Amino acid sequence: MERIEKSASYKMSASDINLKILAYTVVGIFALICLIPFVVMTSSSFNLESDIIKNGYCLFPRKFSLLAYKVIFSAPDRLIGSYILTICNTLLGTTIGLFLISMTGYVLQRPDYAYRNAISFYIYFTTLFSGGLVPYYLLITRGLHLKDNYLVLLIPGLMNPWLIILMKNFMKSIPHEITESAKIDGAGDFTIFIKLILPLAKPALATVGLFLALGYWNEWFNGMLFLSTTMKYKPLQLYLYEIITKADMLRNTPASKYIPPQNLPTETAKLATAVIATGPIVLAYPFVQRYFIKGITIGAVKG
Amino acid sequence: MKIKKLVGIFVVLAFLTIVVLSNVNVLGSVKKPSTYVVIKYYVMGDPPQNDQVQKAQEEWNKILKQTINTGMEIKFIGWADWYTKYNLLLASGEPLDLVYTSSTWLNMWGNAQKGAFKELDDLLPKYAPKLWKQVKPEEWDQVRYKGKIIAVPENLFTHYVNNGFVYRGDWAKKFGIKLPIKDWYTFGKYLEGIKKNLPGVIPYDVTGNSSKASELFSGWVISNTDAVELPIDTGGHKLFWGKSYKDKYTLYSPVFDKTFEEYAKLMKQWASKGFWREDVLNFKGDTTQLLYEGKTGAERAHPDSFSGLRREMDKRQPGSDLQFFAFSDTRNNLVKQPITQDAIAVGRYSKYPDRALMVLEQIRTNQKVYRLLHYGREGVNYWIKDGKYYTPPNFDSNKYGFWTNAWGTRIDAFVLPSINEWEGLKEYYARYNKIAKPYPYGRLVLDLKSIQPQIAALSNVTSTLGTAISFGKVNDPVKAVEEYRAKLKRAGYDKVFKEIQRQLLEFKKLETGK
Repeated sequence: MERIEKSASYKMSASDINLKILAYTVVGIFALICLIPFVVMTSSSFNLESDIIKNGYCLFPRKFSLLAYKVIFSAPDRLIGSYILTICNTLLGTTIGLFLISMTGYVLQRPDYAYRNAISFYIYFTTLFSGGLVPYYLLITRGLHLKDNYLVLLIPGLMNPWLIILMKNFMKSIPHEITESAKIDGAGDFTIFIKLILPLAKPALATVGLFLALGYWNEWFNGMLFLSTTMKYKPLQLYLYEIITKADMLRNTPASKYIPPQNLPTETAKLATAVIATGPIVLAYPFVQRYFIKGITIGAVKG
Repeated sequence: MKIKKLVGIFVVLAFLTIVVLSNVNVLGSVKKPSTYVVIKYYVMGDPPQNDQVQKAQEEWNKILKQTINTGMEIKFIGWADWYTKYNLLLASGEPLDLVYTSSTWLNMWGNAQKGAFKELDDLLPKYAPKLWKQVKPEEWDQVRYKGKIIAVPENLFTHYVNNGFVYRGDWAKKFGIKLPIKDWYTFGKYLEGIKKNLPGVIPYDVTGNSSKASELFSGWVISNTDAVELPIDTGGHKLFWGKSYKDKYTLYSPVFDKTFEEYAKLMKQWASKGFWREDVLNFKGDTTQLLYEGKTGAERAHPDSFSGLRREMDKRQPGSDLQFFAFSDTRNNLVKQPITQDAIAVGRYSKYPDRALMVLEQIRTNQKVYRLLHYGREGVNYWIKDGKYYTPPNFDSNKYGFWTNAWGTRIDAFVLPSINEWEGLKEYYARYNKIAKPYPYGRLVLDLKSIQPQIAALSNVTSTLGTAISFGKVNDPVKAVEEYRAKLKRAGYDKVFKEIQRQLLEFKKLETGK
């Protein structure tokens, strides 16, 4: 199938070419700046430990060594478990969260719902004040008994007030007449929501879904507070955080005076862990990035 | 109806009395309880990544079941954001039976104020009579909050945490410095020697953060005045000290004294001579590793960590002859640790405080339980050779490495000296034992509630400008000191000083009656 593209037939003027060159250089340099830390991290993880301590990190491995990876893969089950945990949590959290948030957003903007303003304000109010850390901790541990329960990673993020407000504002742009005419045809509320509203709200779903997914992927705080050390698998980001900070903690806390003879992760082991934890995401990103970009721009234009 | 109720209450009361009395017999020794319960003991840190703690737990529970019909489970409070987690755990009302605490770094008094710990006065003699006798009355006085005992101090364990610098004896000799180094100016000469003679070595490759700045300055004060540190955390530099051991009720601030100007000038000199990196405030490296690799010539340490460093250096840099200059060497200004540096408390919501104390007594009196808890299983996690703790060269520390960080329960009589301990450490300890004075502020409980906002503001100043002064990152040290003092005054220094001085005088009344 041949398509004649108009843009190909028109000639670029010199200033256009210059502009393109300039744009490509600027973006290219910026991309390099973003890439360098990643390259340094990867190369250094393949370097010899003693060499790193003597001469610092490197752009290309000076003394090639696989030791760090051998150390990590001698007991990979924690890392793999953390991966699976985070992926499942992200998938579940994003689907359930999207469903709940879109339902809430839809209901809150229906003009025929009497209490919409009161409830909207109730939700909005929680973004202004928070009870603080201790009440939150008490709520989760003593009220909901979620300590050492993996649900603690899932539940608190499901209904984010900001996302509900965002969703509600988007749903406002869907004409209420659609709901009304479907009602006349005899459709129930839930049918209307699933069959008519959701397909029309795709851009908002993409945006909110992106925020939710990012939030769940980067979840570490609840894991840190509510999963005790006996839990074998931690969210991936927490797993990384614990590995990388453990040595610093031990050096810089007053407890350092008791350092027991334990094997602290070496520089290269930290780097290798970071590479393994971020690697797959970096590889997967090119395939999903178009959805990301779409989600962000469409939401912005229509919102 | 009423009579029925009364009878009911009476029956319940009688039943309870019988239960309580049946556990305590007349002679004051504790009888073995009839029901089996498991208590939880919370420690700081991350557990080993193997099953060795559980295995040791099974062993010590066999013994504990036989003796007191109780089990003990260890719970770790991981290092990631430990301070938040620890304080939340105490505030959460979870039933903690035994929990580690410390007046120096885990805010023991603050948590006592919030009512996090059970009062133990009535329980101790009843359920842990041996433990009750192990601690002297004046030592119990040091763990009283408003007259009530709130923790069991680690009173039978000797260790020093007096800070200082380690330096390489071989290099110091090379530069013609007479050993041992005992003061800051000689130590500066040593650093200068490195700078001049050893290109590529950073004399003291330190990470310039506020906690290191605080250590440096406290070291300077201990070396150059007779002041005694007070347990008041002011972010970076410690601002409040007792004037001296003899004059301990007089509040003193070295920052507002001539000694601070001298310090600021010297640190500026060290910085401009390049004794540490130009970007010291952003450096995040590991000074210990750099020392091992021969890339730096100094590191902050205390006697125990020095012993480990020395052993490692003898292996990695043979002939380096690592030495230790303790800040207390200059004028013998050495005060022992408070015994509340490490302590064990019983949580306010513990369901079995009686059992918790029985278990604690077992740990402190039964060598078998103690060694299982602290070292693991003999022949699996550790071996004993000539009365010393050791692990063979082919020891697989990933599979069999063991620690529980059960600080607060250590007893000199049960501690195994490590084969890795450097032989020379004994001399140091002997020297410190001669000059160390008992901790003078053991019974001082400061109430900082009314001045908390000012202390926060002071901490803000000390951790920013204070850190810059400590690492000589100012243009003119004299001007910087002036600015620093003015800023502290603005942050409410005077109010805090007055309040703490007032409390020190109250403390004097308590101790001397005048």
